[in-house]
Amino acid sequence: MEKVMLIDGQRPDVTGGAGTLDIRLAAQERLSLVLLVLPAGEEEVTLPIRVMMDGEGADFQLNALCICGKKEKVSVKVHLEHLVPGASSRQLIRCVAGGESRVSFDGLIKVLPGAQRTEAFQTSNNILLSERAKVSTQPQLEIYADDVKCSHGATTGTLDEDEQYYMRSRGITLEQARLLQLRSFVWPVLAAVSDEQLRGRLDDRVRQALSRL
Amino acid sequence: MKPLLEIHGLHARVAGNEILKGIDLAIGEGEIHAVMGPNGAGKSTLSAVLTGKPQYEVTEGSVRFKGQDLLAMSPEERSWAGIFLSFQYPVEIPGVSITNFLKTALACRRKAQGLPELAPAEFLALRKEKMALVQMKPEFVKRDVNVGFSGGEKKRNEIFQMAMLDPDLSILDETDSGLDVDALRIVAEGVNRLHTPQKSTIVITHYQRLLDYIVPDYVHILKDGRIVRTAGRELVAQIEEKGYESF
Repeated sequence: MEKVMLIDGQRPDVTGGAGTLDIRLAAQERLSLVLLVLPAGEEEVTLPIRVMMDGEGADFQLNALCICGKKEKVSVKVHLEHLVPGASSRQLIRCVAGGESRVSFDGLIKVLPGAQRTEAFQTSNNILLSERAKVSTQPQLEIYADDVKCSHGATTGTLDEDEQYYMRSRGITLEQARLLQLRSFVWPVLAAVSDEQLRGRLDDRVRQALSRL
Repeated sequence: MKPLLEIHGLHARVAGNEILKGIDLAIGEGEIHAVMGPNGAGKSTLSAVLTGKPQYEVTEGSVRFKGQDLLAMSPEERSWAGIFLSFQYPVEIPGVSITNFLKTALACRRKAQGLPELAPAEFLALRKEKMALVQMKPEFVKRDVNVGFSGGEKKRNEIFQMAMLDPDLSILDETDSGLDVDALRIVAEGVNRLHTPQKSTIVITHYQRLLDYIVPDYVHILKDGRIVRTAGRELVAQIEEKGYESF
């Protein structure tokens, strides 16, 4: 199954008032969750996500994107537990933070005793567009089984000047070069949306958000 | 010969190190110049300075392109003026197709020149014509810029971009590095097809082999930031025989 959630000025809460997004996957259940956080300006967005990998062969994919350029405060917390053997999870979280925005990502992966053959991966990449923006990432792994493949990684950086130079040498203005770089950065998240029409519509929204930065 | 590019007493440094120590070079319309030299001589620095790479600081000298002060222009302005650099290490841009990339490049240039964007049909016709010129398969332009490309594909993509942008001065920076013989020939044939009596080329290379295909009118030896010898194409054989030591 595939789920796409868009959090923006009109839809600040996707949990239906519950406050937490609760997900439990049984044996052989597969879920691809695409989460786009595109706040409009000054709001605070807090999104706790709890995922229980509770059946063999279950698979969870999270692709999340957050674009902030003003004074937003966004906090995404993913708490993911592998309770049983033989399930897999992969998380990709990408944030673009400009203006005076504050973005935090806390990701805990917990592999419980006996949850052998678990595969759990988490990657968090962030781009800072201004010196006043702040991104904090706290990836955490707690592993209580020995036959598992798990990794997490986090990077925070700025837009690459060599890439910009390459594009500018082709006559692309610095402004357009930055847009292409940002588009390139957010692309893997959008690519996880399999419905082409839906992806196109979301792509438009993402473009708008990027061009406001 | 009408001068297209005139370099006078060019000194440049990067990260505090002086790399170019007084370069004089004039390129006329229609000419092909080879700049050869050992590693660390300043060959790539020269191409970086001519195209306005950040972090490279010109400390002395002047460069005029079509009579204009080139050094006062941004990298994109230099491109609009008609300069193109084929990169030694082309950059990968995931999520951006070659088509989208080139559309953006052409749109930026046309906007700067006060022209409207090309109509989709015009763009497609241009793309088709230039793809044929460098023998590219149609599916190639749908791929993301340089992502997962082999060395040969990257260089071919550079030449395709060169064909699309139709520059007056092309600088080929170590275009032969990492290419096998077949890829080298395809790339060189593309460059030769694009050459006209009005267009000029600077071929920066370490070795003779690219110059077997792209035949220069002039050969310059760059060593320790200076051009130490300029001659005709016969100089290539001398370098191959004696190495750079003796110059």
